[in-house]
Amino acid sequence: MSVVLSVRDVVKTFGAVRAVDGVSFTVRRGTITGLLGRNGAGKTTTIRMITGVFFPDSGSIEWLGSERDARDRIGYLPEERGLYRQMKVKEHLLFLAEIKGCRGAAVGQSAERWLKRFELWDKRDSKIEELSKGNQQKVQLIGTLLHEPDLIILDEPQSGLDPVNMLLVRNLLQELKDEGRTILLSTHMMAEAERMADEIILVHKGKVVLSGALDAVRDSFGKNTLHIDYEGDGAFLQHLPQVKRAMIVNNAAELSLTEGADPQHVLEATLGRLRIRRFELASPSLEEIFIEQVGAETMESIR
Amino acid sequence: MNKMFAVIKREYLQAVRKKMFIFMTLFFPVLMAALFIVPSLLVARGLGGKKVAVIDGTGGLRSSFSHHMEPETPDPEKALSGRKRGEVPQSLDIDYTDAHTQSNLDSAARPFLDRLYLDKDSGNGLDAVLVIPANAFAGSDAKMTYYSRSSADLISMERLGSISNRAIQRQRLSARGIDPGVVDTLTREVTIDSVQLSRSGEKKKGNAANFFVGFIFAGLLIIPSFIYGLETMRGIVQEKSERIVEVLVSSMSPRELLTGKILGIAAVGLTQITVWLTIIAAAGAVGAATAMTAGFDVSQFLRPMVFVYFALFFILGYLTFVCIYAIAGAACNTDKEAQQLVAPLQMVMMVPWFVMFVIITNPDSTFAVALSLAPVYGPLTMFARTLVSEPPVWHVLLSIAVSIVTIMVFFYVTAKVFRVGILSYGKRPTIPELWRWIKLA
Repeated sequence: MSVVLSVRDVVKTFGAVRAVDGVSFTVRRGTITGLLGRNGAGKTTTIRMITGVFFPDSGSIEWLGSERDARDRIGYLPEERGLYRQMKVKEHLLFLAEIKGCRGAAVGQSAERWLKRFELWDKRDSKIEELSKGNQQKVQLIGTLLHEPDLIILDEPQSGLDPVNMLLVRNLLQELKDEGRTILLSTHMMAEAERMADEIILVHKGKVVLSGALDAVRDSFGKNTLHIDYEGDGAFLQHLPQVKRAMIVNNAAELSLTEGADPQHVLEATLGRLRIRRFELASPSLEEIFIEQVGAETMESIR
Repeated sequence: MNKMFAVIKREYLQAVRKKMFIFMTLFFPVLMAALFIVPSLLVARGLGGKKVAVIDGTGGLRSSFSHHMEPETPDPEKALSGRKRGEVPQSLDIDYTDAHTQSNLDSAARPFLDRLYLDKDSGNGLDAVLVIPANAFAGSDAKMTYYSRSSADLISMERLGSISNRAIQRQRLSARGIDPGVVDTLTREVTIDSVQLSRSGEKKKGNAANFFVGFIFAGLLIIPSFIYGLETMRGIVQEKSERIVEVLVSSMSPRELLTGKILGIAAVGLTQITVWLTIIAAAGAVGAATAMTAGFDVSQFLRPMVFVYFALFFILGYLTFVCIYAIAGAACNTDKEAQQLVAPLQMVMMVPWFVMFVIITNPDSTFAVALSLAPVYGPLTMFARTLVSEPPVWHVLLSIAVSIVTIMVFFYVTAKVFRVGILSYGKRPTIPELWRWIKLA
C-alpha cells in the first residue's frame, strides 16, 4: 500500500519543553492509523505540524502521491467544535470547502448529499448556534470531508459525544476506510482505537515508543495474557504467583502472566471460587500494552 | 488567493447582514446630525424667559432696564457652532426697583432674595437678583452683586452685567455733559465678519459652522473605526475560543487569514461610508438651500475634495485602528481580557477627538500640524485640517505616507502576534511577553 504521509524526525520545542522529540512514522493509504498517547504526550502538537499550524523545529513532513497543496489534502476535525455560531449550516459548509480550494456546483451537490444523509437538510438554513451539539458535530464532520481530503485527521472525535453519535462516527470512519480513504485518528481511548485502527503509533513524552500494524504489535507481546470473564469475587486473581500484572474491571480480568507460567494453574486456582464464563489465552489488549509501555502510573489517567 | 477571497467574502457578508450594520449605516448620520442640530434648533427657538429683579442703588438706570427684554436675534452661525452652543438667547423679564432712597441696600434686597426660592409659575418667583450699589457711578471700588440659585448661570449674569455696565458708562459720560445720543454713537460696537481665504484665493465665509460640520465629519470618520475595530477583536477572540482558527490555519497561512479578515472588514467600512456620503450629498443638495436661508453656506463643505479626503483618511484611520484591535484580539482569550487591554489604548487613540476643538480652531498651528503628521493620529487630524483649512499638499502627502507605513508596521506586528497568539490559550500576555512573541514568530 502506498504512503500518503511521511513524518521524519520532527522536533518541536516550546521554551524548555520538548513537546515532540524526534517523531517518525508513515501513514499508508486506505488505513485507519491510531495516534495514541496520554494527554500531553505530543499528539496535538504533532497534528498541528501536519496541518501546517506549526512549523517543526527540525525534521520533515512529506506528502506523497498527489500534486495537491498539502493543506488542501487534509480534512481536520479539531477536538472541540470549530464553527462560526452565526453562520448558516450550508453556507458554513461551502465556506469550509472554499478555504480548501473547492467551490462551484459540485461542492453544493456534495454538501446536499451529506446533509441529507445526516438528516440535516431541513436545517440547512439554520444558524449553527441553533443546532444541538450532536448536530454541530455532524456539520463539523461534513466540513471535514466535503473537499475530499486525502487524509482525514480526527482529534479525539469521540470526546463529548453521546453513544449514538459515537456509533455514527465509528460507522462513518469504517465506511470511509472501505472507500479507500486514509484516516489519522488521535485518541487516548485505547478500546476505541483497538476497535478501529489498522495501525498504531504510540507516543509518550514526545517520542514514538511503539508503532506498526495493530495485530503485529499485539502479537509481538506474545500470547501470554489471560482474558477471563467470570461471576464471583475475582480480587484474589491479582495475587496468584503466575500473575505479573492484572487489570480487573467488573467481572472481567486481564492477567499478564509471568515468564513460563502455565495458564492451566490459574484455571485450577479459580475452581470452586469463580464461575468461569470465558477463559482465553491471547495477546494483550492495547490498553495493557499501553500501560506496559508508558508505565503503570498512568493507569488511573486512562481509565 | 482564492482562500483569502473566501475569508473576505465571509467577513463581509457576515458583517453587513448584522442589524448593527444596518442601523449604523442608515441612522448614524442622522444621529450625528441630531447631536449638533438639536441644540441649534433649541437656540433658534430660545429657552424661554428668565425673571430677574434689579435693585438699583443709584436710582438712575431705570431707562436702561425696560421691563421686558426680547432675546437677541438668534444668530444661526453662532448657534450652530460648537463653541457657542451654550449661548442660548432668552428673554429677560426685569423687575426694576429704584432703591436710591434706601440707606441699607441689603435689607432692601432681602424680600427679593427670598423670592428666588418661590415657585416661578406663581408669578412671584425670581431666577436672579442684581444689586447695583449707590456709588456705582463714582466709586472706583464699586461692585455689583448677582444672586441666583445656580452658580453656573453665567449667561444671564454676563448679559445683565453688560447691560448694566453700558448703562453706567452712559450715565458717567452724560454726567460729564456728553449728549446720550452721541454716547451711543461713540460706543457702538463693530461686529466681526470672518472670511477664510483659500490658497487659490477663493474667499469663503469662514464661519462658525465649521465646528458643526467638522465635528459631524470627524465623528463619522472615527466612530466606525472603533465600532468595527471592536467587532474585529471580538471576531478573532471568538475564532480562538471556539477553535475555529485551527480549522482556518490548517487551510491557509495566518497571514492570508489576517489579510482576508482585515480587507473584508475594510470593505464593510467602505460600504458604510459610501452609503453615508450618498446620504450626506443628497441631504446636502436638498438642505443646502435651506441652510443658505438660515445664513450659512454648506456648499463649501460639500466640495468634491472633501469626499475624496474623507474616503482616503477614513480607510487609513480604519486600517490603523483595526490592526490595533486585531493585535488585542489575537493576544487575548476572552472579550473581557481584550477589552481591558484595549481600553487604555483606546484613550490614546482618541486624542485627536478630544482636542478636535483646538484642531478645528487652529488647523495650521504647530500642534495640529504635528498631530496630523503623527502615526495613528494622522488620518483624523489631517482630515479635520483639510476640512477647515487648506494645508500644504506636502503635509497631506506626508501624512498619507506616514499612515501607510504605520499600517504596514502594525500589520507586520499583528501578523506576528496573530501567528503566535491565535494558538496560545494561556492567560493574557504581558507587554514584554507580547514583545517576545513579535520577535519569536
